[in-house]
Amino acid sequence: MATRRSFLKLSALSAGAVAMAPSRDELFAGSPPPGQPRRFVFIRKSNGIRPREIALPSFGNREKELDEKKQPVDVDLEKHELPTWLRALDDHKKHLTLLNGLSCKMSENGHWSYSSVMGAYKSGRNSLSGIKRATIDFEVAKLFPSPFGHVELSLTGNYSSFRTGIVAGYSAPGPHQRNYCYADPQTAFNELFKSVTDPGAVDSDNAMLSFLQGEESFKSATIQGYEKLKISNHINSIKAIQHRNKKLQKLAGSIAQHLPEIAPVHADGGINASTPEKQDAMTAILISALVTGLTNVVTYTIDELSTPVRGLPGNEGDRISIHELGHNGGYSGVSADRIREKIRIGHVQQVARIVESLKKVPEGEGNMFDNTVILYFPENGEGHHSHGTEAPFVVLAGDNCRLDIAGRYIRLPYHATEGHKTIGNWYTTLLNAHGNPIKHYGDLDLEMSRKKFDQVGAIKSFLG
Amino acid sequence: MRIKIVLLIWVLLVSVIGADEKNANDQSRGWEMPSSVQALIRQYCADCHGAGDEVRLDGFLGMKQENRLALLNKVQDQLFFGLMPPEDHEQPAKVERSILSDWVAAELDRYQASDLNAKLRKPGFGNYIDHDKLFSGQYRKLKGFTYDRRWLISETIFDAKFNRLLNHRPFQTIDGQREFVVGDNNRRVNLTNPFLLPPHTGVRYYANTTLNGGHLLTMITNAKEAAKYMVYLTKRDKRYLPAVDLIMKREWEHEGLLASRESFLNQFIDRVLQELYEDKHDALLPEFVPTILKVTSSPDGKPIKRSPFHAAQPGQQELVLIFQTMQRYQREGDTDAQLIEKCEKEWFRFGHNERKITARLTFLAGYLEDFRKQIEQHRYKQKYRPPVYRAPSSDEMAVISASLFKHRRKGDRYNEIIGRCIEDWKRGFEQERHAAGLPPQEAIDALVSELFMKIFERLPAAKEAGQYALLTRDYIKSLGNLPAIEKLIQTLILRSEFVYRSEFGQGEKDEFGRRMLSPRDASFALAYALTDSSPDRELLAAAQNGKLTTKADYEREVKRLLQKTDQYYVIDEAVQRIQLSASITNTPIRKLRFFREFFGYYKMLSIFKDNKRFGSHYDNAKGRLVAEADRLVDYILKQDSHVFEKLLTTEDFYVFHSGDNEAMTKSSERIRKIYDYFKDLDWQNFKPADLQKHRPFIEEVQLRGMRFNDLQRSLRTFNTIMTSFTARFDKGQTAAAPFVSFPAHGAYNASTRTGLQLRSPEVARFFNIELDHWDYPAIQPDQVPNRKGLLTHPAWLIAHAQNTATDPVQRGKWVREKLLAGTVPDIPITVDAVIPEDHHKTLRARLVAVTEKKECWKCHQRMNPLGYAFEMYDDFGRFRTMESLEHPDNLIQKNPEKGGVYEDLRDIYKTLPVNAQGSLEGTGDPRLDGKVENAIDLAGRLAKSSRVRQSIIRYAFRYFMGRNEYLSDSKTLLDADQAYLQSGGSFDAVIVSLLTSDSFIYRKEPGE
Repeated sequence: MATRRSFLKLSALSAGAVAMAPSRDELFAGSPPPGQPRRFVFIRKSNGIRPREIALPSFGNREKELDEKKQPVDVDLEKHELPTWLRALDDHKKHLTLLNGLSCKMSENGHWSYSSVMGAYKSGRNSLSGIKRATIDFEVAKLFPSPFGHVELSLTGNYSSFRTGIVAGYSAPGPHQRNYCYADPQTAFNELFKSVTDPGAVDSDNAMLSFLQGEESFKSATIQGYEKLKISNHINSIKAIQHRNKKLQKLAGSIAQHLPEIAPVHADGGINASTPEKQDAMTAILISALVTGLTNVVTYTIDELSTPVRGLPGNEGDRISIHELGHNGGYSGVSADRIREKIRIGHVQQVARIVESLKKVPEGEGNMFDNTVILYFPENGEGHHSHGTEAPFVVLAGDNCRLDIAGRYIRLPYHATEGHKTIGNWYTTLLNAHGNPIKHYGDLDLEMSRKKFDQVGAIKSFLG
Repeated sequence: MRIKIVLLIWVLLVSVIGADEKNANDQSRGWEMPSSVQALIRQYCADCHGAGDEVRLDGFLGMKQENRLALLNKVQDQLFFGLMPPEDHEQPAKVERSILSDWVAAELDRYQASDLNAKLRKPGFGNYIDHDKLFSGQYRKLKGFTYDRRWLISETIFDAKFNRLLNHRPFQTIDGQREFVVGDNNRRVNLTNPFLLPPHTGVRYYANTTLNGGHLLTMITNAKEAAKYMVYLTKRDKRYLPAVDLIMKREWEHEGLLASRESFLNQFIDRVLQELYEDKHDALLPEFVPTILKVTSSPDGKPIKRSPFHAAQPGQQELVLIFQTMQRYQREGDTDAQLIEKCEKEWFRFGHNERKITARLTFLAGYLEDFRKQIEQHRYKQKYRPPVYRAPSSDEMAVISASLFKHRRKGDRYNEIIGRCIEDWKRGFEQERHAAGLPPQEAIDALVSELFMKIFERLPAAKEAGQYALLTRDYIKSLGNLPAIEKLIQTLILRSEFVYRSEFGQGEKDEFGRRMLSPRDASFALAYALTDSSPDRELLAAAQNGKLTTKADYEREVKRLLQKTDQYYVIDEAVQRIQLSASITNTPIRKLRFFREFFGYYKMLSIFKDNKRFGSHYDNAKGRLVAEADRLVDYILKQDSHVFEKLLTTEDFYVFHSGDNEAMTKSSERIRKIYDYFKDLDWQNFKPADLQKHRPFIEEVQLRGMRFNDLQRSLRTFNTIMTSFTARFDKGQTAAAPFVSFPAHGAYNASTRTGLQLRSPEVARFFNIELDHWDYPAIQPDQVPNRKGLLTHPAWLIAHAQNTATDPVQRGKWVREKLLAGTVPDIPITVDAVIPEDHHKTLRARLVAVTEKKECWKCHQRMNPLGYAFEMYDDFGRFRTMESLEHPDNLIQKNPEKGGVYEDLRDIYKTLPVNAQGSLEGTGDPRLDGKVENAIDLAGRLAKSSRVRQSIIRYAFRYFMGRNEYLSDSKTLLDADQAYLQSGGSFDAVIVSLLTSDSFIYRKEPGE
């Protein structure tokens, strides 16, 4: 009989299970590699990042010309000024990379990309069967298992109000699967930190699992052969989840120490909370989820075209539609471009807060940020109606993150030209750098294929 | 030779699947190797597998148990697949081989350690059971059966199960009627489906899979979400779960009372307080603090595009609230500012959220005029009348008044007063419920029974009822009523019974140790064989009334279910989403799904292709292509005559067609009528006034985009339409395809059966049809040149192709395995399966170079000659005689990146002639085997082959039984084959035969 741990591994590896099972069990069942875990934060934004927005204002003439012509550029950020919206990261230039010139044509473009930007495939307008593979966040989560495995947060809505509760996410644990996602800070807080905030609920979960274990064990005693295996697997699954719950309970001390404070405005879904308040609270939760060790991977959709923007500084009274900003509509005398910039400023302030918080937490011989990669990127490439020829990324990576890109503005060769790199190459780089030797993650770019350019594998120069 | 060896060994393994269970406990016997076996090993194996070899057979006795079993597994594999001894070595006689195999199997079975047994259960190994033997008749006397089993639910059963449980009954408009559809997974409650089927073609849903940690983890969250929603449903309508309502009754009555008091006060507190406090009221009001709005202007003074009303309005609920407040204070002569101030004062007094007030004021400051227009346009006055004051009963009013007196303080805003009152009442109610104690035992018993019925569709057995009642009491004591009910629902959903189908025999065993399926299990097995849903009313009644106990009973129910066409199903939600293609059928879904999965043409949806190489918009067209392949299969199934042959040889296809011949004819004729009316007029030079002249006709034919109050714009649209219509007729075409002439929302020119715009005419390009040179056949399916059957349908060809190239190996493998019941070993791990690049050669020539080497050809000869025949089509499934050598060095003409629907945007490259000759071996019929000219020739021969027919029947067996066939199923297969032949090729007859066979009806306990 397989042990609980080996059962989970086996169940994920057996032929039938590979086909049927989600890869979710690998997220908490596996043994983490020795040393400090790596952490990954994926922050998705909507409405694109226009490549000129990420270009450095202090570029020299030559660099500016190259950048505008979409020719390769590689400069040291220490010698340059960051664009206004990125200034909150001024103190972190050493760890910052502005990565321009990647493409994402193989993912869904236009207004939305759904799961596809993190899976490098076409999502078929968000159809379940369009989800082709586990998204990159789930792939890295498998490399660094944790009690929660993976946490997804989002601030999305229906243009006039925010979604709340547990909703369908954008990440995918496997093909044809959507992840669960916490859609408001209070729900995320309640669910993630339950072992401290609501130990009674955890106890009742455990009581339920014990009852089920007893009941299934009784059934198992009366059958044999392959049928016994089916029930044994059911029992082993229950045991594995009980084991995971125990791990979570062991973290109670750490959780209590780092429990974020959530303002009362977020109660009951936070219908009166402003967008910046929601972002602040989500960031606090995100940081705590990492610091307490609940998870090593968080995906956070900081906004989506349907996210209502309320309480934006300077436009406090407006209910701003991000979608309308994409069509250049201004509010209360403030232009769409300016509001888009203010939204990005708000986002980057959250990113800076994550960096700073993690830098304050000691880990090994350094701090937690040393082992963290944060990626802030548009869900749909280079604009509101994007084509996917460009997909700018803002990356912050700690010293131990095996990526040789820190402190630089990098523009890669343009789409469908020699040396061009896609998000598939970029994700392959992340995976290769952190222990997954995959040859190539994601679908290939068909224009690159047509033009017979090599496009498989990691971006070698990025591997530290 | 190898096949014979496999046959021989299979005889030994007929009972292997059950033998492991029979022998499992026989582990007490020590390890020994009979002398006969030792002698055989010495004679046939020891020369190579002795000292110095990696695989040594001379050291069995000294090995650790684990290593010994691993070695025995290797031996069993080699013997079974006929790989050892090598062909050029001395071969054991049949009897000798059986002695060896028998012993190996017995030893492995003692420890339940046979990997081969597990392997032979897997879908990919079904064909290792010898075809000729199965259909020889030699094994007809063996009694068919299936072992008692649990069968993990599939992704589609998961959806149907939760849809039933959560009352999700989605409707679609189909052919103008509102129809309930099964298969929609767009539920209000968010669930993740963990029971995904593997993506391969053939049969995807087998009874082998077991639940694992990943499934269960996902199910825990699903169970929580479902439990919450079930309680919500009960709250909305107590008939959903009356026992839940009974336990929650008091609590929900209290909630209702609180909600009604809150709602009353939110609307009328102003009036009530004035009545209660009379002249003292005003003095108690809070001091108004107006909101100060920041005024911003463009920093550089340039005009800024203002967001339109719809993008700036604060949400419908807020709009209504603002409107109603405005209504209350609107006085003639007041300025807008005065009106807004009065509104603001009310909101302030009521204690509305400060941010909401700011947002309302900002909105009114910028959009009051727009809002007034909306109020008129959307008839707010009629729709949102002011609330009418109705005083609560005198007792209730007394309670409210007392509470208001108790909690109102000077300067309070109304929301503060209301909040305190509610809290006070809530506390009182809680105390009242606490004093009432636990629900009575009968209520708990009723709850358990009701939830069992809802979730498992059966009542609990007495023991279960007792256990679950105890559990429920524990939950209630520790959690309280509502969380306890939710926890009980979660517990039930997480039981193995919820995620496994149960198929167990019941009653007396027959002389062969078999028992018939229990009537209840039979009703589910039959329902799940043809649908994803649990049994319908008739089937349940049959099970309950003893009418599912004979083959005749089964036959009656299967035939009834097959004839049932009053239920619509979503075939594929992904197809529905792509360009809104309708993907619906009223054929029992699992019948259609068999061929869908068998051919696997839907897999093209996940193959990403280049628009430029397609020469048009591929992504738009792919959903329609799959939908039309589905429709073709459905059409052939509905005819139910010579089904396999028609699927393999039909020359008639659907191309840009809704499936409604009458509607498509009408749409096409309308375009003809419009074209004929204007074609001889000088429409290209029409002036706006000319449109007026033709207004009666334009209105009669409902020409899209014509607005007679904007003739200039209409003229532009008219020109677009006529240009498009002219292109469809100016080459002497007989009829026009009714696609849209310009992008617009809504259905026009033609619609899908679900009433949406019929999109993606680009689908015609897959069939080499040019949209501006097409004699559109409105009656379909209709003949398309150079095609024969589903294997020449572009959807199948793309599904079995690479992103940028064809794939003769994959196509050949499909034919070998699916139609010829053949086997192809897995690709050796040492082989890097890459076709070398050489842009001066065709793909076939490059493939030949790497696969026709001696060591490769051994396997590739089973695939390539079949796959080569499909080279007459490119990787988009387009017919071709020349292969385009797509490489920048071969570019002859660069074409534009973007263009209209009629343009072919493909770049032009050098070409080489296509060689689509191949050969067919393996039908067992010398009249059919041999060289084939191309895929059309191949399809014709395949359709005539008995082996092909039987191969499809084998897959149908696996599909409906959820397992591979054994020799003991020989009669079942023979009967199904005969049923097909005698019925003139009815697939329904095959289904009836399979579902009334011993293999389906009879069950044995594992180990029997």
